[in-house]
Amino acid sequence: MNVDRRRFLGSAAGMAATAGVAADWLWPRHSVSYRRPRSFVAILNAAEYSEKIETLLMDGLRLFRLNLLGKAILLKPNMVEDLPGPVNTNANIIGAAARCFLRLGATRIVIGEGPGHQRDTELVVQVAGLKPHLADRRIEFVDLNRDELAKVKLKANYSGLGELWLPRSVLDSDFVVSMPKVKTHHWAGVTLSLKNMFGIVPGMKYGWPKNLLHWHGIHESILDICATVPIHFVIADSITAMEGNGPLQGTARELGKIVLADDPVAADATCARLMGFDPLRVQHLSEGGRFLGNLRADRITMLAERAEAPIRPFAVLPDFRYLLARTDL
Amino acid sequence: MNTAGGCWRIVNASAAARVLADRQLPSGGWSFTGSQQASIEATCLGVLTLAGGTQAINSAAFQFLLKSQLPNGGWPAFQGDSEAAWTTALALSTVIVTNNMSEVGERALNWLLEERGREGHWFWRWKFKTADSEVRFNPDKYGWPWSPATTSWVIPTAFSVVAIKQSTVCNRSVASEKRIRLGVDMLQDRVCVGGGWNSGNSLVYGVPLPAHVEATAIALLALQDEKQTPLIQASLSWLKHRSSSIESVESLAWCILSLFVYQEPVEHLKARLATLIGDGHDIRNNATLATAILALKCGEMIHPFEVLR
Repeated sequence: MNVDRRRFLGSAAGMAATAGVAADWLWPRHSVSYRRPRSFVAILNAAEYSEKIETLLMDGLRLFRLNLLGKAILLKPNMVEDLPGPVNTNANIIGAAARCFLRLGATRIVIGEGPGHQRDTELVVQVAGLKPHLADRRIEFVDLNRDELAKVKLKANYSGLGELWLPRSVLDSDFVVSMPKVKTHHWAGVTLSLKNMFGIVPGMKYGWPKNLLHWHGIHESILDICATVPIHFVIADSITAMEGNGPLQGTARELGKIVLADDPVAADATCARLMGFDPLRVQHLSEGGRFLGNLRADRITMLAERAEAPIRPFAVLPDFRYLLARTDL
Repeated sequence: MNTAGGCWRIVNASAAARVLADRQLPSGGWSFTGSQQASIEATCLGVLTLAGGTQAINSAAFQFLLKSQLPNGGWPAFQGDSEAAWTTALALSTVIVTNNMSEVGERALNWLLEERGREGHWFWRWKFKTADSEVRFNPDKYGWPWSPATTSWVIPTAFSVVAIKQSTVCNRSVASEKRIRLGVDMLQDRVCVGGGWNSGNSLVYGVPLPAHVEATAIALLALQDEKQTPLIQASLSWLKHRSSSIESVESLAWCILSLFVYQEPVEHLKARLATLIGDGHDIRNNATLATAILALKCGEMIHPFEVLR
């Protein structure tokens, strides 16, 4: 009886898997693939947000041999709220990145963000301390919540949205750099370079917060957005990260790292490992590993130090304990 | 008015109004920042600011607003979009305040009375009550969403309550009264611990969310003619306390507009706002610039979000 049941379950699972593969083949959920044979990641050690960051970042960026000559670059930091604590990507890293990219040949830097809850973007920019970094006329801040919009057909179909209105400043840029603050997230588990792209979705159309994306599935919307607006590079701020009830009300966690990568999935997988999480258990990461970039460690070349899991994994809300890497369960 | 600060404020408001007028698009509307794509929010605030100004500006702006109204009575968020949005409430207030309430306003009012957050449907109310325990709110008390098929949020609900109150002040139907009461109840249900409002919820995973100045100011505008409950008084106190440290134009302008209808002193805040905007050239966001001008002119012209009692 047990054998029969096991055989039946095995057959059912096999049929479901076959049906899944067939469905993917018949109705592919993404029309693009950004996966390359290998991806490159560099973990830089930085104990604090000091003036030395620019030198460190420049040395790190040179490892990637990026061709940025004449390019218009969009830096997409994570600037969510006018709150103290490790809520936003640190302004010193954003400013340093902008100056580094100019030194590497870029002609124009747009720092673009559309905060998700706070409508007063100027207030967020003020509190984040970004204003002093906008003195160079080649570095401009654009409020993506209120930019000119164009309707874009999505290049993946996980959310069922089909199309989104997206900001011109994003669509017109040559090179998109996602600059997340490494944090836990009370709806998505983690917020890293892929989740950070929620901020390009304009509030003037979708509101504060961008609630339509929640109704269509956070993970699904992340996949669709990142398929449509590919991330070319990642600079993740995990010098002081956030654990617990992120992305706003968690607690500071000192990691002392900046993660650079030429692949957002590889970047996020590395950050997840640094947090003590299994990247395969983050839904948008495991699915994103099929077409947005490389998830598996054997396809990621570490240019600097290896991604060791922290001695103590990041604290998570009870609903997200499943994220913890197996050794920590 | 008779102080140097008052004169400076008037000079700055006039200069900023000229900057705003110069930024009007050939279509008659205003974009947020420099593009040719008009925003309904920026246009409504622009119209309200310059109402009573040159005839040509008003006429072009009104024609643009009228042309932008969708067949269902709503307004989209921006030129080129075909889906009605929360901006309908702002457009309705604009139509009323500028004495243009007609069939256009009636259709907008009907759209607003029909529109509701997803909690307006019994199924989603049931789901919020039974399955979504992380966020604290009462889904029986719902308001208006930013965009269709999403949940109710504080700012669109507050603007909708203001617009319905303004448009039905002389002739309030049962349906209008019911939606006003629901909206008011929803706002009071979502008050943050210690007063004020965040964008929608007050507690997530048991942790209180901080209040936002703009959401608080706009929610208080919607509650200006309501019985001053301890929740409203606490929120007003929060806003007054917070006003002393606001250094951003948008938040400070909404703060002034709100405190003014509660007859709180705002002259010192106007002086700070005048300093912040200067002649207006550095304020790139036209909606922000228009709101700042409205705040500086508060008390000298019709308050666009005042509700007659």
